[in-house]
Amino acid sequence: MMDAEDRQLFEEALTKITTSSSGAALDAALADLGWAEALDEDRPTAVALLFELQGTANATSCALDVVLAHALGAGVAAPMFLLPQFGTYEMPAVTADGRVTGRGVARSGDGDLVVVAGNAAVTVPSSAVTVRPISGMDPDLGLAEISVDVSTDAVKPLAASVDWPSVVALGRLAIAHEIVGACRAMLSLAREHALEREQFDRPISQFQAIRHRLAESLVAIEAADSALAAAWQDGSTSSARYAKAIAGSSARTVARHAQQVLAGMGYTTEHPFHRYLRRVLVLDQLLGDSRILTREIGAELLRARTLPPMLPL
Amino acid sequence: MDLDTFRTQLDAWLDEHASELRPSAQANTLDDHLAHVSKVKRLAFDAGWMRWGWPEQVGGLGGSSILRAYLGEAVTARGFADPGGWSMTEVLVPTMIDFAPPELAAKMVPLQLRGDETWCQGFSEPGTGSNLAALQCRAVAVEDGWRVTGQKLWTSYAQYAQRCVLLTRTGAPDSAHRGITALFVDMGSPGITIRPLQTMNGRAEFSEVFFDAVYVPGDRLLGQVNQGWAIAMDLLPYERSTSLWHRGAFLHRRLSEMLDSVDPGALSPEAVGEAAQLLFAFRARSRATQHRLASGGQLGPETSIDKVLLATTEQAVFDLVFDGLSEQVLIGDDVSSEEWRADFLYSRAATIYGGSSEIQRNIIARRLLDLGPDR
Repeated sequence: MMDAEDRQLFEEALTKITTSSSGAALDAALADLGWAEALDEDRPTAVALLFELQGTANATSCALDVVLAHALGAGVAAPMFLLPQFGTYEMPAVTADGRVTGRGVARSGDGDLVVVAGNAAVTVPSSAVTVRPISGMDPDLGLAEISVDVSTDAVKPLAASVDWPSVVALGRLAIAHEIVGACRAMLSLAREHALEREQFDRPISQFQAIRHRLAESLVAIEAADSALAAAWQDGSTSSARYAKAIAGSSARTVARHAQQVLAGMGYTTEHPFHRYLRRVLVLDQLLGDSRILTREIGAELLRARTLPPMLPL
Repeated sequence: MDLDTFRTQLDAWLDEHASELRPSAQANTLDDHLAHVSKVKRLAFDAGWMRWGWPEQVGGLGGSSILRAYLGEAVTARGFADPGGWSMTEVLVPTMIDFAPPELAAKMVPLQLRGDETWCQGFSEPGTGSNLAALQCRAVAVEDGWRVTGQKLWTSYAQYAQRCVLLTRTGAPDSAHRGITALFVDMGSPGITIRPLQTMNGRAEFSEVFFDAVYVPGDRLLGQVNQGWAIAMDLLPYERSTSLWHRGAFLHRRLSEMLDSVDPGALSPEAVGEAAQLLFAFRARSRATQHRLASGGQLGPETSIDKVLLATTEQAVFDLVFDGLSEQVLIGDDVSSEEWRADFLYSRAATIYGGSSEIQRNIIARRLLDLGPDR
């Protein structure tokens, strides 16, 4: 595990590279920094720091793919990982009758695709993958719709036994950290605007209507942040689901308040707010969106007729 | 004593003594609740549990404050104690340890821990709700002490209390936070009149307290003269830390009890999931606060986030209760229905009591977001 000093140095280095690079350049910088090795050494710290900073910087990288491959116990250089379709989290592919078939989303790229099908993970050559690049709400994220249909003879085995729920749980924590980072950026933009923008001869930050929106945003962010810290400590798939659901609903709260405070400026593409709004709306959809997860949690509790113990001291 | 050992041994003790510790199902008046809290404190004190987490100089056995957080959670989660009455210890005892003369703390704190005494907190006044620094209840220096004249309002459990941590005005009327002094007052003193307020949930938890030239001995000064604001600022974060953790345990229990008795078709899964998520987030936040306090961290304005989350969660849980158990809440007249109704109505005040959500947001805006003054 990293001690406090190592952690601080690592955070400073990650801040520098996430704010100065994105995409392939950030992937290269992460490789130089040894982020994947840090993942081996101290997974919670490596995931929490990078994804939050990536969210704050509105940067993209292959880090989610690396984390998910890591959860399979497989180190793959710059992998592309087949995620379930938007809003869902079921395993995206199946193996039957000598073929691996599936549909989902992944970051656009030209490497081999990591596909979890049944209990196993395989890599599929890019020649056997059909790709539709997604522009959509957040073109900068560089996602693509993927379909796979390939003979089992053409794939390479990667992991013989996959615990899919734990892969999903780890991915949810990473995505939730990225959402929290984006939320912090939205709040920071709104706060700066409120302090600078003057109306009626004073900064609008003096109006209680504005202050309370910003305060509510911070409450939502800290709720998600605490839920994430608790989920890492707890280590259960159930807690990771809570944390992802909370991050998604916090993002809606923060985006709503920040956009209202930013008013007309935040509606223009001259201002960076829109990039964060787009990012959190799409990130929420990966590995189960907050509405689906919330409904699932509620349905399970209604069936169980009891609330299981939650986060012991 | 580490937390895991404490938890294991305490859980075993609570199970073993459950029949003594469980309140009677019929005993649901405020008198019953307070009497039972005192009984549980005494049993827990005599068995040692209530003494862990408090320093030896006030009758404790030492150890981390996390032990107190767990004790309160364990008794609340089992329904052995009402969180409000139980947690008054957590609000007032840290202040006594930090600000009372050591011999006064050594004499008084064990009375509170053992359940021999109930204490109250004389802060709010008719003209002073959210704006605490404007309080006017006056203390005038006399030979060997003080004469206190004025009125307090919203004083929890005043009619049961033997003592009061009282904020008084000792500076000029407009001296605001610079002219406040804290006193530890015997509630049996001549000149004190208590009038419980009838509230909508049927439990007169809050009172008006009138002080008519009440004599308070000089050795009952907490901290220094005109330093009472520092005491209030020290106390209020405690009101938003361990006691809120206990309240979270209460909400967990009530939500679970509701799930056990509700017709599953009466509630939307979304609403249930939302309430469970709020509770999860609150517990995550409050748990971190308990560990920060236990490791010697200073509590401050960040506990306002805990309070906003608790209030939001409490109302969401009881909105769900209202929808799921509407028949009991609305027309039930048995004891269980009365409890649901009282808890539902009390939850309406969650965004008001202990510093309204508006005041907490003002604190968050000013102190955590550094937005500067609001005027």
